[in-house]
Parts: sequence; C-alpha cells; structure tokens
Amino acid sequence: MIEPAIALYGSTFQSVMKTLEELLRESGARYVMLLDRKGFVLAHKEALWAPRPPALDSLATLIAGNAAATQALAKMLGEPRFQEIVHQGEQNGLYVEEIGEVALLTILFDNSAPLGRVKLTAKKAAQALERLTREAIVTPNKLGIDTDYRDGANALLDELFGN
Amino acid sequence: MSTINFAAREINFKIVYYGPGMSGKTTNLKWVFGQIPDTRRGDMVSLATEDERTLFFDFLPVDLGEVKGFKTRFHLYTVPGQVFYNASRKLILRGVDGIVFVADSAPNRLRANAESFRNLRENLAEYGLTMDEVPIVLQANKRDLPDALPVEMVQMVIDPDKKYSMFEAVASTGVGVFETLKAVSRLVLSRVATAG
Repeated sequence: MIEPAIALYGSTFQSVMKTLEELLRESGARYVMLLDRKGFVLAHKEALWAPRPPALDSLATLIAGNAAATQALAKMLGEPRFQEIVHQGEQNGLYVEEIGEVALLTILFDNSAPLGRVKLTAKKAAQALERLTREAIVTPNKLGIDTDYRDGANALLDELFGN
Repeated sequence: MSTINFAAREINFKIVYYGPGMSGKTTNLKWVFGQIPDTRRGDMVSLATEDERTLFFDFLPVDLGEVKGFKTRFHLYTVPGQVFYNASRKLILRGVDGIVFVADSAPNRLRANAESFRNLRENLAEYGLTMDEVPIVLQANKRDLPDALPVEMVQMVIDPDKKYSMFEAVASTGVGVFETLKAVSRLVLSRVATAG
C-alpha cells in the first residue's frame, strides 16, 4: 500500500492537541481540525464560546474531497499543489492548509476573526504539525490488529446486518 | 489503508462502491442508510446533479460498534459512474480499503460493466495498486429486470477467472445489499488482521 497511515497517540497526540488549542486561541476561530487526506478526523478542538459544529464526519469528508479536487486542478496547471485553500462567505470562512503529504489543517472562523490573523497563526501551527505528523506516520502492517479484533468485529457485522 | 486513531480509540475503514453509470451504487448506500438505526450511522452526504446523478461522491459513515476498546467505523463512498467523470472518480479511490463493484444486469450495459472494471484497474494502478492488493467483491444488481442477463454472463465479462465473490442484488428493494457489504467488510477485516 502506498498510502501511509497516521497513528496519533500518546505524547504526539498531546502535542497536536496543544498546538490546536493555541491556534484556536490565537486565531480567534470557532473550530480547528486536523484531518488525514482520506477525510478522517485525527484531532479537533472547538472554542468554548462557539455554537455546536456541524457533523464533523461530513465536514471532514467534504474538505478532503475538495482538497483532492483542488490538488488535481493544481497539477493540471503545472503546480504540484496549492498550499492553502480559503473559502470566504458572508458570515463564515474556511481555511485549509496542507500538512505535508498526509494531513490537512482546517480552520473554521466567523467575522470576529480577521482572515489575516487566521492565515498567520495557521502557518505557524502548520510548521509544528508537520513535524508532529511526520513522527506519527506508520506503515500499515505495523498497526498490530490481531485476530481477536477481527473476530469481534465480525460478530458485530452479523449483529448489524443480520446473518 | 485503514486509519487508526489511538487517542480517540477509533479504527476507520474506507469502502468504495464502483461501477458503470446508473448501475445502482447510490441506491445501495441509500438502502443501508434507510435500514440501519440512526444511532449506528452518520449523515449521508450526496453531491449529485438535479436529476440525482452522482457528481462527485456519496458518503455514509457506519458505526460497527466497539471491538476490544476500539470504535470501529466503515466509511462508505460511491463514485460517479459516468465515463467522463474519471478525474473525480479517481480521487475517491485514494486510500481505499475495500471495493464493491456494482455491475448492471441489463443486456445493453454488459460492455459498460467491462469498461468500468478496466477503468478501476487503471485508476488503482495510478495509486500503485493492483487488483490483488485491494479486497474486491462483485454485485450483479438489477436482478429484477425482465431481460436480466444470467449472473454467469455478467461475471464472465468482468471476472473471467472467477477470482471474486459475486452477489445477486436488487438494490432498490434491498435484496443482497447487506450481504454484499458484509462480505467486503469481512475481507477488509481479515486483511488487517493478517497484516498485524
């Protein structure tokens, strides 16, 4: 498999969370998320004052799909990639920054957070996150899922979908 | 490859429904969405045109439950089947853990099945993958058509060596939908277990 997997845990995860927390505070954004390229949420943080975010799974999937499409577009234009994606609406905005090859940093912000500050703080966080995610890349066959896990999951499949 | 989040204790798998245009990929997902309790699934996201043809993808997260302390989830995707959407179709295959190939049983779609399967092989190759490296199951859909071709004939054009399991289905009424999904899930699970 060429697609590397990210396994965030332990002290690396703590450092990622700390970085996201700082970013949230300094940028004034509502939500920050770290996704992998496939659209799975690796870590996320919400501002206490912000309303409940929309479904994170759906958000992450659409952002990853959007980033993939944007990257394909960049390649057609002779760029390896566009490093950042900004979407600005009337009230809310979305900022996505690439974290190396494998992850995406996503910031959702509203009018109270100036785009300039979002960008500035995002770049800083991106540097830290790039280092951290590189440490977290594992080769899939070292994930250590055993046959017990498989048997348990198979039993749940029967329960959910019937025999 | 599967994403493991040790911090949140989650294991995620990506399953992609592939196949020619109008073969019933979205219908498969809609049936799953409609049948499993809403505590076990998230929202379904559909990026479709006004006449409900898939434009980019459909997405449905399914919660299997907790296994050995790990929340296990399957993320189900469909691709747009129409030939000219290959650029976006290719994107969906990124990081896929298992594939359901939905073939159309209609006689005039036999060639479309073969073309779509070949297209799958080419798109996987661009990610450096061969058909042997990804778990694949086949589904012969629309078995309720009065002029539906024999399953053997559908399989013959896409999989002459009979390497993959084939399931008969009528996705619009749910026949064979869960069986197919269960089969591909089992393949995906057995693959990670042997790798570990």
